[in-house]
Amino acid sequence: MLVNFFLNNHPFSAEVAANDYLLKTLRDHHVTSVKNGCNESSCGACTVLLDGHPVLSCSLLTTRVEGHHITTVEGIPEDIQILSDLFSDEGADQCGFCNTGLALAVYALKRELKNPTDEEIKRYLVGNLCRCSGYQAQFKAIVRYVRNKQ
Amino acid sequence: MAFHHYHRATSLEDAQKTLLSHPSNIILGGGLWIKKSNAEADTAVDLSLLGLDQIKETKDFIEVGAMVTLRDFETNPAIQQLGGGFVAHAVGHIMGVALRKLATVGGSVVAKLPFSDVITPLLTLDVTLVFYPKKEISLADYLASKGKSKDILTHLVIKKTKSVGFFKKVGNTALDFAQLNIAITHEKKWAIALGSRPGVAALATQAMDYLNGCATMGAKEIEKAAELAVEELSFASTTFASEEYRKTLAQTYVRRGVEEVLANAR
Repeated sequence: MLVNFFLNNHPFSAEVAANDYLLKTLRDHHVTSVKNGCNESSCGACTVLLDGHPVLSCSLLTTRVEGHHITTVEGIPEDIQILSDLFSDEGADQCGFCNTGLALAVYALKRELKNPTDEEIKRYLVGNLCRCSGYQAQFKAIVRYVRNKQ
Repeated sequence: MAFHHYHRATSLEDAQKTLLSHPSNIILGGGLWIKKSNAEADTAVDLSLLGLDQIKETKDFIEVGAMVTLRDFETNPAIQQLGGGFVAHAVGHIMGVALRKLATVGGSVVAKLPFSDVITPLLTLDVTLVFYPKKEISLADYLASKGKSKDILTHLVIKKTKSVGFFKKVGNTALDFAQLNIAITHEKKWAIALGSRPGVAALATQAMDYLNGCATMGAKEIEKAAELAVEELSFASTTFASEEYRKTLAQTYVRRGVEEVLANAR
């Protein structure tokens, strides 16, 4: 069936099966910044924004996205540049597999929570796993981004 | 789960008609747990467009649409007030934000998910489930019912409470399923629910009756209630936790929970 939605504010159409998930649809259309980590709704690597809110694309049926707005890192280039610089500055990058999903979650966090505490930031990001690091360097970079301390 | 057709219902009548048109047909909640199932369905029916994603607050009740996401539920001001926030706390600690923005309150409840951190706190409150076309049943009675209903859950009606509730999920990490979860409230009468034992949450009615009958509430009475809860409910071993460990947890947290609820009421 044909599904129409907005990908990074551009109209996007895809022919999908009834039980195709958005992760598959996006990757089949070469949107490979969205990562297939666990495919079990546990790791957060496949995070995209649905109408501005983080969701797991591995578990969202593409048919349900009809008419909605989906955002990937390609849709927020300015914030991604800032986050990339901060991650680099803090030495937070290792393999980078989790970065895109994490970046989208952090972008949403900054818009959703007002003056969040460290604890609130950590709680918001609990579903975005990183298997390389101990989260400390990433956390420093994220705190600088959220509190506008570039 | 494999399904061959997807149907976006235009009305509840349309949804039920489609549901009944093939024995394997299913209603989609958030679609998360269904994805993990190995079953096969002809058609998945989506209720997304039926306005069931709203929370309405009245003087005495909070009416929650079945398609309200866990995220919208836990951040709703009325739910954050409810029972001192113990329900919002419980739901707000389920996995990550991105999962909670998909998973629905109705899906968690109607599927009787045994590990659910949604059901256990709600079970200690006065909660009525409203089904289409015409059925209203208490959450406790629904959980005790057998078989699969072809009625469609549309709303949960939660009676407001001012008493501060207790909730505890025991797990090694933030993303674990509960090894055991415990919720306790006290508004006129005690309510004690234990879930993920690993069975679906149930009320410890003997412990509740015992506490309700106590003229004074001391350490001895509280410990007795905790013992009764462990005796009357079934516990079993899984890879997460042994039966013995679950029983120890249950006794400990029922005691602590009752103590905490009493302390908050003072």
